[in-house]
Amino acid sequence: MPSKTSYFNPALFRKNLARFWPLWGGASALGALAPLYLLAALIEEGFFYTAGQPLEATIGYYSILAYIVPIVSLFYAALCALAVWSYLYNARSVGMLHSLPITRKGLFVTSLLSGLCMMLIPYAVTGALTVLVSLLAGIFEPAGLLVTILGVLGESLFYFSAATLIVFITGNPFAFAAFYFIFHFIAAGMEWLVSELMTEFYLGVSQAYTGVAEFLSPTVFLLRKLEVFAEYQQITTPGGWIENGGIQSVTLVNGWLIAVYALVGVVLLAGAWALYRRRRSESAGDVVAVGWMKPVFRYGVALCAALTGGTLLYALFAQASYHVTARPVPFAVCMAIAGIVGYYIASMLLAKSLKVFRGSGKGALATLLASAALCFVIAADPFGVEDYVPGAGELTDAAVRIGSPYGRSLYASTSDPAMIEKLLDLHQAIVAEKDQLKSRKQPWENAFYVDLSYWTPGDHVGRYYTLPVSGESEAARLAMALAADPDTQENNLFRNVTPSDSNDIIASRLTGGTAGVYNTETRQREDIDLTMEQANALEAAVRRDIQAGRLGRTMFLTDYEEYSRSVYDGELYLHYNLTYHRENPDERNSSGSTRDTGSRSVYFSISIYCTETLNALEDMGVLDNTHRLLTQAEQEAMTEYTDLGSSGGYYGEYYGYAGTAYPDPGAAF
Amino acid sequence: MIQVTNTVKRFGGFAALDGVSLRVPAGSVYGLVGPNGAGKSTLIRCLTGIYRQDEGELAIDGQPIWENEALKARIAAIADDWYYFPQASIRDMCRFYRGFYPHFSMERYEKLKEVFQIDEKRTLRRLSKGMQKQAAFWLTLSAMPDCLILDEPVDGLDPVMRRQVWSLVLGDVSQRGTTVLVSSHNLRELEDVCDHVGILDHGKVLLERSLAQLQDNMVKLQVVFKDGGGVPGDLEVLHASAVGRIHTLIMRMSAEEATHRLAVYEPMLVDAVPLTLEEIFIYELGGADYAVKDIVL
Repeated sequence: MPSKTSYFNPALFRKNLARFWPLWGGASALGALAPLYLLAALIEEGFFYTAGQPLEATIGYYSILAYIVPIVSLFYAALCALAVWSYLYNARSVGMLHSLPITRKGLFVTSLLSGLCMMLIPYAVTGALTVLVSLLAGIFEPAGLLVTILGVLGESLFYFSAATLIVFITGNPFAFAAFYFIFHFIAAGMEWLVSELMTEFYLGVSQAYTGVAEFLSPTVFLLRKLEVFAEYQQITTPGGWIENGGIQSVTLVNGWLIAVYALVGVVLLAGAWALYRRRRSESAGDVVAVGWMKPVFRYGVALCAALTGGTLLYALFAQASYHVTARPVPFAVCMAIAGIVGYYIASMLLAKSLKVFRGSGKGALATLLASAALCFVIAADPFGVEDYVPGAGELTDAAVRIGSPYGRSLYASTSDPAMIEKLLDLHQAIVAEKDQLKSRKQPWENAFYVDLSYWTPGDHVGRYYTLPVSGESEAARLAMALAADPDTQENNLFRNVTPSDSNDIIASRLTGGTAGVYNTETRQREDIDLTMEQANALEAAVRRDIQAGRLGRTMFLTDYEEYSRSVYDGELYLHYNLTYHRENPDERNSSGSTRDTGSRSVYFSISIYCTETLNALEDMGVLDNTHRLLTQAEQEAMTEYTDLGSSGGYYGEYYGYAGTAYPDPGAAF
Repeated sequence: MIQVTNTVKRFGGFAALDGVSLRVPAGSVYGLVGPNGAGKSTLIRCLTGIYRQDEGELAIDGQPIWENEALKARIAAIADDWYYFPQASIRDMCRFYRGFYPHFSMERYEKLKEVFQIDEKRTLRRLSKGMQKQAAFWLTLSAMPDCLILDEPVDGLDPVMRRQVWSLVLGDVSQRGTTVLVSSHNLRELEDVCDHVGILDHGKVLLERSLAQLQDNMVKLQVVFKDGGGVPGDLEVLHASAVGRIHTLIMRMSAEEATHRLAVYEPMLVDAVPLTLEEIFIYELGGADYAVKDIVL
């Protein structure tokens, strides 16, 4: 008798949809809230008169496709796949389904189609209602809708295929949940783990994660790469400014990625089918249902355990002695121990038994050696990460933050090649001294940090070093010279209020200032507002102190007594009104105008050496016999006798005052 | 006809079926017996297409079972732990089965409703174990299978319902020529319904015969020897026990042959008694190191 084979069974299809209706019904109900919200908003605004253009709807569609569908699908696909394939996880149900007169192919196709239907029904309901509302509001735009439908189909196919593949690899829902999220985030996660290990060994490398493997973590990659770009008509105002008119076009940037992921979804489905037809019914309940995946799981868990557990163990025991960077041998021991623990945990999960030790010697030994070898290889820095200093020609921008022993810092960012060259020289000097810097056995009594940042087109490199204030270090000398450089000081204080191409400021106007002083009569802190003229005089005086090298004079004082006697506690503020010209459409204000305005304040503390500034304050009457600036030493002495609780909100008050502007990091010199 | 040839099924390194061969004639009721862990359920799962054998062949009417949709449409099975969808009623499961079994008979389903007398709209989950078993028979028999495979089928059924169920199954055998393979530990019951028996142990078939052949091949004799003597040492017996002067001997041969052999010792009394299937099972497995131990606690 010839065999009759069907690839689709309507009874099973109906049963799947009927059994799991709460899942897709609930998701549809939740999805329907979005168009209902849109409808309510349009009614509130009188949408028949004030609704926007059709392309505004496209922006909404694309935004959902780019930023919401990947996250929703990540979770919802897992639930749908788990629902339709759940019979594989139970010996009774798999027995029933596999004994029925239907081939594995028929079961696969039918369950796959019912799962995809469950995936798409909520999107279809949400989409249909949204279209209805759009039609009512007259903002229906079919082209954008079609792209969105295709995008949703593509993303749904990919996520459901991935979830299906993982279902077939695992044998119970807990293993599925773990493997599913591992599948989606393992690439980025592993790179992060390795990069964390690199930061332990490499001097100055505090962040080695590059995201190079993110394309293997689809949700992360899609969320990073998909963007919605709207191009507006440009209207020139009578004042010469350019403002946005209507929307000219809307683009889903990198939308082709969805098509690629959909194709990957097809490949995953082919893989899933290959696994399903070989899957043994008796694997129900196992952690890993595919034989050849078991060693992958065992050694994969061992590797992750070696990286995470090894780092934790080392951190625990490293407290016992001081080292600038991690020591390879003890770290390798920690990684080997953690790796073996991971190996046996994985073995126990696979065997569903605690008795896994007999005959496991070779595997455990391999894990031990591989973990230790991995540690030594990373410690040997085969890619030269520790010694890497970018070439000046590669960089578009660079920045440095230098911190003082007493917690103050200055920050300068630049695209000026001469300044970049200075930063690279400093970096090179530090790399040249790395062996001395790494070999110290205890913390320096007085140290400061140097935080270097470089930007190349599309990339960023950062390094963080600690250097001694005193001693023979050429790198430390260069860093302190850089901090004392008037250009650096000016950059630190006035960078964000000085017109330049890099900050889009085309006009800056000093409008006033504030001086925080101590009133000797009321014995209270007092803020004195400065007029525009006074503020201008104060700014000029500060600039003179900078040029004379007086503002940064106290930065590297190592004697705290001397430091606290030199530095004033109160802060001085200068307030600016700024006018921006935004070339980049993403940075424009809500009307999309190239013209934008704002305000920003800079604040700083001074020391007893800032004679120009002190004289200016005295000349304008801010400082007199009653109003004084207290040094930190005086302030600390006062605090011992006086309740200065009211000054507790001091910083909060002034940050609040800065309002829409961004307060510049404080500087005290 | 069900034909199993040199079938091997391994779980990890353990061979649950270790070269099983058996033959179930068409239209017969074949009792598959064996101790716990002998491989009966594994064999049934292989026969129903749940497990794929590692070696050997399983065929019904000459066609391999694995992935044979048309053939499986003629096979119905009731597993020891029969599965139903958690929220489903008998009616729901009926609709589901109809979607798979092309010969599913609603007419029979309606007729069987009178036999089983369970509210078909009740959720199966809320029925007792026995009622669930009845539902399994109701649906399975409605599928009109040519081949019925049953694993501990009447567990949980009351005596009346057991008789009713066996009556239905045997009715199908006689009227439709249905082939039945049934695995059970209830040998007394199998003895009443089976015409063929296979004993499985350690994944192998120890013996396979018709029930009549099986009973002819082993005999229980009650013997009284002259002068109160014991069992002669040169006499081949599977098992011997004595109560007073009466010796009970189990011998692997026909009653005539056993009587003939005993004649040499001029016994005072020889009486041949037929063995039950349970006794055959016990004494056959006794030879396979599965004897009933006299345990003193």
